[in-house]
Formats: sequence, C-alpha cells, structure tokens
Amino acid sequence: MIAHQAEALVLRTWPVQEADQIVSLFTRDQGKLKGMAKSAARSRRRFGGALEPMTHVVAHYVEKPRQELVRLDSCEILSSPLSQPVDYRRAAALAFYAEVLEETLPDHDPQDSVFRLALTVLEHTRTDSIWLPVTYFALWMIRLMGWMPDIERCTLCGRPFGNESAWFLAGSDGLVCGDHSHPASRALSPQSLAIAGRFFRTPIAGLVSEDWPPNRAADLRRFAFQSLERHLERKLRSTQALKA
Amino acid sequence: MARLIEELRKLPGIGTKSAQRLAFHILRSNPEDAEALASAVREVKARLQLCSICNNITDVDPCLYCASPTRNQRLVCVVEEPTNIATVEKTRGYNGVYHVLHGTLSPLHGVGPEHLRTSTLLDRVTRGDIDEVILATSPTVEGEATAHYLADMLRSGGARISRIATGVPAGSDIEYADEVTMTRALEGRREM
Repeated sequence: MIAHQAEALVLRTWPVQEADQIVSLFTRDQGKLKGMAKSAARSRRRFGGALEPMTHVVAHYVEKPRQELVRLDSCEILSSPLSQPVDYRRAAALAFYAEVLEETLPDHDPQDSVFRLALTVLEHTRTDSIWLPVTYFALWMIRLMGWMPDIERCTLCGRPFGNESAWFLAGSDGLVCGDHSHPASRALSPQSLAIAGRFFRTPIAGLVSEDWPPNRAADLRRFAFQSLERHLERKLRSTQALKA
Repeated sequence: MARLIEELRKLPGIGTKSAQRLAFHILRSNPEDAEALASAVREVKARLQLCSICNNITDVDPCLYCASPTRNQRLVCVVEEPTNIATVEKTRGYNGVYHVLHGTLSPLHGVGPEHLRTSTLLDRVTRGDIDEVILATSPTVEGEATAHYLADMLRSGGARISRIATGVPAGSDIEYADEVTMTRALEGRREM
C-alpha cells in the first residue's frame, strides 16, 4: 500500500451502496484517477463539502497493488466553488469544466498545463462572468489536446483568412475559406478569429477587464464545443445548458 | 427466475449478486409473503400519485399537508425530493406546507429549468396566496443553483423569499469544519 497526498480537482461522484461514493479526481501529480470514499455521504468530518464538482482539494488516498480504485481517506479544501454564489449559468460552466476534463483526460497521465488552466478559469468563473472563462477553457483544451487547427489559413488551400470569415463543419476537421466551405458550414467571424489568437497569447487575467456578453465570440464557443464533441465522439451534456 | 433477477437488478443499489440473493429469498418464502410483496408493488403504482398542489407523493389529492386546516398554507418550504419532507417534519418546528421539485438543476445530467416542477408554485406566488417561500434545497452546487434560479423566478410575485441557513452541524466539532462551512457559519451568525 502506498499513501499519497496530492493536490487535485474533484470532477464527479457516483453514489455506491448507501453512503459510499466513487470519486473521480484530477490530481496534479498522477493525473486522473478514481477512488472509493467510504461513508462520504455521511462523514462531514472527512469530506465535508469537498466532493462538490470542481473543488480544489488536497486529497489523501491510498493506492493498493492490483486495484483500480484508490481508497480516498480525506480531502482538505483549498478552494471551493461554493465560496461564491452559484446560479444556473455558473453551475453549467462548472459542469462543463468537469465533464470536459473527465472525458478528455486519460487515467494516470499527469497534465500540469491542463491543471493550471482549470485552476485559472475557475478563479474567473463568477455568476456575472462565465462566457470568457468557458470560451477560454474550451479553446485551450482543444489546443492542449492537440486538436486545434490552423486559425490563420484555410486547411485545404492554405489561403490566409485575413479579414474574411473562416468556415467550420461539425463533421470535418479544420477551418476552411469561403471557397471551400460546405452549404452546412458555419462561419467564424474575423473578430472571433482575432479573439482566438489573443486567447493563445494573453493570460485570462489580461482579458477579464473587457466586457464579455453572451453573444461575444458565440461562434468561437460553438466551434470549440463542436471540436470537443467531434473528437470525443459524443455530445457533451453540459453544453446544452450553455447554449440555451 | 432469470426475469425476476433481471427486474430486481434494475433497482438502485442492487447488483447481479444481490438480485440473485433476493430472487432466491422470494423463491424460498411462503406464497403469502411473495403475494404480499407483489401486491404492495402493484398498489404503490396504482394508488400513489403526486399532489396536484405541492407534488408530494400521496394517496389522496390534495395531500395531507395541503389539505390540513391547522397548517399555515401561506408559508411554503421548497424541497428537492419527497423524502426531504420527513427530514423537515422531524424538527416538529415547522407548521407550513411544502413544494416538491423532484430534482435539482443539473447541467451534467441534462436537467434544466424546464424539467423542474415549478409551475404550481409560481401560480400560487403570482396569485398572492403565499407570504413566504423557504428554499430548502441542499447546499451543494446544484442545490444552490436551483435556489438561485427559484429566487429569481419568484421574486416578482411579492412573497418573501428566504434560504435555509447553512453552517456547523449541531453536535459536531468546529475543529473539523471545512473552510466553506465555517465561512458560511460566520456569515450567518446571529446576535445573542
């Protein structure tokens, strides 16, 4: 048996038996792993509110040889989403982060850059400002997973987009110019392409002073959601709440 | 036998082995016990329904609470599930009525505002039938989001909207309270 103490983000929980829970954790050092939290639904002492999705914790767990689930003994909260007011939009944003991390990351594969990204967007996800962090997170996840196409040139002919829109299609890779777009393609405006470029050059803290209403870069968000869903080969449930 | 095991396996918390154990128990039990179980299952589906006012599970409509002349019908406690009513009733200190949502907003499970049973509550508040709505959803992310949504929806109706207090549980040790619980306990302190 090896005892661990690791900084982690709680992604999801599933109830088992009467009071036990299986917990999915994204740890900084060991990547994503799942553990059994015995009596988690009853024991306020060991877990309290630490098993809420996207809570940043120090997790104490024990790994046993030949067992897939670790034994989660306790969690100390470093920061909790419940420290700030939670409305439906913010809950949807938190669910989106948790779902994307749960679905994209392989088990036991540490991804420090993804961990840092998640902490950064969590810090800026407030009830009145979810659209910037959600879009920033979605786009960066595509990039960190290696799924980001060229945002400056047409994938098919290499022509720079310049001041023209780029086009994307749910079922195919990359961004194309108007000449190569499909009738079912959706446009990505030059303004949104410029925002994408800024996202990759500027930390989120440098963007929060700007106004981010829901319709700003909505096409970029749609492109990001579609890219994630296409590579995961499944619909993300939480995006429905963010589209509504 | 395979059909019985398969049906039992659909129950929450029941795996294949537990389903087999239960099925063999039913097989070994006397016919009266097996018939009593079958008839209880049939009756629960045939006789129980949701109260047309508060959505509580009941065998008479309106339910016991909504029909009670001794309860304060102008004070409504909103809970997530019918089982939460028993928890509030255990206090013996609440004399209002209830409204059951049958769930909370859960983007991860595809539960949006349109899935919550809120229409009769909104009607009652809009008609001016209610003085105060107590939002007693759990202090989780989903419970908080639901309370926030309901408060926004009901605010224009003129009723007082309140949220249950959160903080250190009675009989527990402050030493083990987490950061969020303690912050809320301090925020919700009261004068003595």
